[in-house]
Amino acid sequence: MNIFAYALKRTIQAIPLLIIVSIISFTIIKLSPVDPLAELKLNPNITPQTLALEKQRLGLDLPFYQQYVRWGWNFLQGNLGISTSGEPVINRLMERIPNTLLLSFTTIFMTWLVGIPLGIYAALNWRKPIDRAMTILSSVGMAIPSFFFALLLLVFAVKTGLFPVGGLTSVGFENFSLPHKILDIIHHLILPTTVLFTISLASLQRQVRGNLLDVLESDYVKLAKAKGLSENTVVYKHALRNAINPMVTLLGFEFASLLSGAALTEYVFQYPGLGRLVLEAVMKSDINLVMASLMIGSIMLVLGNLIADILLKIVDPRIGEG
Amino acid sequence: MRNKIIKYIIFLGIILFALKSCLIVDKYSAPKLENNNKMDARISITPKPPFETIYKDGVDYMIARGDVGKFGGEFHTSAIGEGPKTFNPWESKDATSSMLGGMMFDGLVTTDPYTGDVIPKLAKSLQVSQNNKEYTLTLRRGLKWSDGKPITADDVVFTWNTIILGGFGNTSTRDNLYIIGKLPTVTKIDNYTVKFTTPVVFAPFLRQLGAPIGPKHILEPITKKGKMAFSSFWGVSTKPSSFVVSGPFKIKQYTPAQRVTFVKNPNYYMADKNLQRLPYLDKYVVFIVGDLNNEVLKFEAGELDILSVRGNNAARFKALEKQGQYKLYNLGPDTSTTFMCFNLNDRKNEKGKYFVPLKKQKWFQDVNFRTAIDYAIDRNAMVSNVLYGVGAPLFTAESLSSLYLNKDLAKGHPKDTQKAKEFLKKSGFFYKNNQLYDKYGNKVEFELLTNAGNTERESVGVIIKQDLEEIGIKVNFKPIEFNSLVGKLLNSYDWDLAIIGLTGSPLDPHSGKTVWEPNGTMHFFNMKDPTPSAWEKSLATIFDNAAKVLDIEKRKKYYNEYQQIVYDQKPMLYLYSPVTIIAIRDKLGNIAPTPLGGTTHNIEEIYIK
Repeated sequence: MNIFAYALKRTIQAIPLLIIVSIISFTIIKLSPVDPLAELKLNPNITPQTLALEKQRLGLDLPFYQQYVRWGWNFLQGNLGISTSGEPVINRLMERIPNTLLLSFTTIFMTWLVGIPLGIYAALNWRKPIDRAMTILSSVGMAIPSFFFALLLLVFAVKTGLFPVGGLTSVGFENFSLPHKILDIIHHLILPTTVLFTISLASLQRQVRGNLLDVLESDYVKLAKAKGLSENTVVYKHALRNAINPMVTLLGFEFASLLSGAALTEYVFQYPGLGRLVLEAVMKSDINLVMASLMIGSIMLVLGNLIADILLKIVDPRIGEG
Repeated sequence: MRNKIIKYIIFLGIILFALKSCLIVDKYSAPKLENNNKMDARISITPKPPFETIYKDGVDYMIARGDVGKFGGEFHTSAIGEGPKTFNPWESKDATSSMLGGMMFDGLVTTDPYTGDVIPKLAKSLQVSQNNKEYTLTLRRGLKWSDGKPITADDVVFTWNTIILGGFGNTSTRDNLYIIGKLPTVTKIDNYTVKFTTPVVFAPFLRQLGAPIGPKHILEPITKKGKMAFSSFWGVSTKPSSFVVSGPFKIKQYTPAQRVTFVKNPNYYMADKNLQRLPYLDKYVVFIVGDLNNEVLKFEAGELDILSVRGNNAARFKALEKQGQYKLYNLGPDTSTTFMCFNLNDRKNEKGKYFVPLKKQKWFQDVNFRTAIDYAIDRNAMVSNVLYGVGAPLFTAESLSSLYLNKDLAKGHPKDTQKAKEFLKKSGFFYKNNQLYDKYGNKVEFELLTNAGNTERESVGVIIKQDLEEIGIKVNFKPIEFNSLVGKLLNSYDWDLAIIGLTGSPLDPHSGKTVWEPNGTMHFFNMKDPTPSAWEKSLATIFDNAAKVLDIEKRKKYYNEYQQIVYDQKPMLYLYSPVTIIAIRDKLGNIAPTPLGGTTHNIEEIYIK
């Protein structure tokens, strides 16, 4: 029950934060000189009458604070408004969110599956050639810009024809059998996942290695070793448990970046995810869509931190009431 | 320590070597610029005989003009951007939506892609009355919607009276049809005949008859629910099975941000010479790609069958033609125009300050000054350096592909710095240390804007800046955000010169009145001036008069005159038009691209060899 009360307290604390975030974002979007109707205004086939109707439909004829109040009131009721394309924002988001989640979860799963063992292995082989080789590789992984790496892989796909050039599904996907569908999606996911995996693997592996090394240096590990405990018991039962705590916090951040972490990669690979949608929305100043995605991002961040804190409480009983 | 360093270097060397061998060397490095001159000459167009109509088994088939092909296969093309916003062609406001929605619905008439003439489509024949105000159209017999219901005069009258003239969806078609404050009327004569009557003779109306016709039995219940319901009908989240269409293809699946898949409409009324119902293709797939680079990659990977090739890629694509199994088609200058516009505004804002500082106004209002700048800029340099030779210099307000181009002006004039200086001298400008001063002793210096991100216009701006330096004018070239540029042009009027572009219709200059009439919404160079100058007023009169005659030769005279006025007064300096080059795979048959119709005007008879 204690944890439940703690969660409630944190949630209530988050409300003013979210309000401030929304006011700041709304103001910034409104202050930017971007006009959502600019393209229509330069289209000779669009008459002033049509423009006036569009303006009214998007609520652009109201004063600034009224627009915000209207937006906020709708948001509280779960109505995210309509995008400039005339569709409800919620529909546009729901089209993309599953795709982005698919990419993020695959990446996170792969990274943690490979990153933690690699980190442990590197720490146990500290300063041996294999550790140094991994250090070099992870430095390369951390240093390479994601969009550049994505472009390289795209060129690779074009030249070899082994992989599709972007997208998530092939033509005629709707008529495929289920195993064929799954294989098709995996085929499309390989390249974008490779980019995201390489980049986050590098940093995760370094973190695990560093943490474990710190712990291995500590007195109680030395004591355990001196007591004559086997190497495996010392590392996996005592040292690793303590080394994993900061990882839990990291997991909270991973949660926050589930929906927004892959925007650049998504754009290069023309992946039908949220990142590409939001980027296009920002360019066109599609305020409802941008606001909705910003709010979702903030909520995910708050939630991710909360989850991390709660997890931390569970795995490490030493952490008391904050 | 030293040993270790050496080990590292060797280790790194091995890695680099391994990576190097992974790279596949592109054997066809981009050829040098002169290769551009070997670009295929513009395709020659031989007009085809008019469409035949053959009556068989109760259906008036429209007979395609190409060869008899094979059934089956898919055609993959692309649309750049975020994808369609709606599939409802009466609601669409953007190009992608109009293209995709329009493909599913035929209009009464269409444009002959070879000659630009208006020819019947859903209609079998079209008669214009003696007084040029009544248009009688006879529909083909036996036509069916994709759901099997017949297409009759009721559908036509409903579409025109209720949807278009009734103001459902995007009302721009209707708004453009108002003449002397009145709209045309539509009446049903019999099941297959309709009559349109315009209040006065109104030439642009004929092409408006190409507006898509909708199925009354589906749309009437929606229009009864109101305009909002109609606007969201057939939106992007509609179930594809609910579409009832008359065009060659019907939507099968929309995968957001990836592609739109169309399948053939089995009830389509066009047939080949063996009287087999078209289209040949089973599927027509439009990929939604985010940007140009991705489109090029997709074409190179073989995922697309057709690609519009940009100037900087043209030489490389030419070299790879055989290997990539495609052919390049040069369709000549496209319908877009890029121009530099002067701000001729001489009014004050509500705070009593001039929109344009007084000294600059004196320069911009002076036709000699504008002419001098016209002579000082080098359009050929823009074409060869910015468009890589894949373009043409432009001197007229109508695009080079327009049916109404004033051919006498199109040749233009070369860059002539000497002549430019003479024009400046005429208006009392003088030089001191190679810098130009006006007769009041003000240094001539102004700002040139364009939209940032458009690399083509950014490079053109730099060329203009250098050209004008030669006649002693200092130009501060500033690319700014597209939206803020539009805001300045249309609302705040605080700018000097700007480089922008517009796409006009090559078929009818009438829509250009929004730019040339003093109260037009895009009269950029002097927005909403209550006291326009004499030549601005005469432009308005010309557009009014040209709309009131049907005879194409008479209309040509009017539009030649308007281009002459713009050429003489130079409120906008036209710069260049890019040339359209299309790469099309060899496997496609009946490919007949034309400058007016583009590449897919005969999509129903395109087949896979």
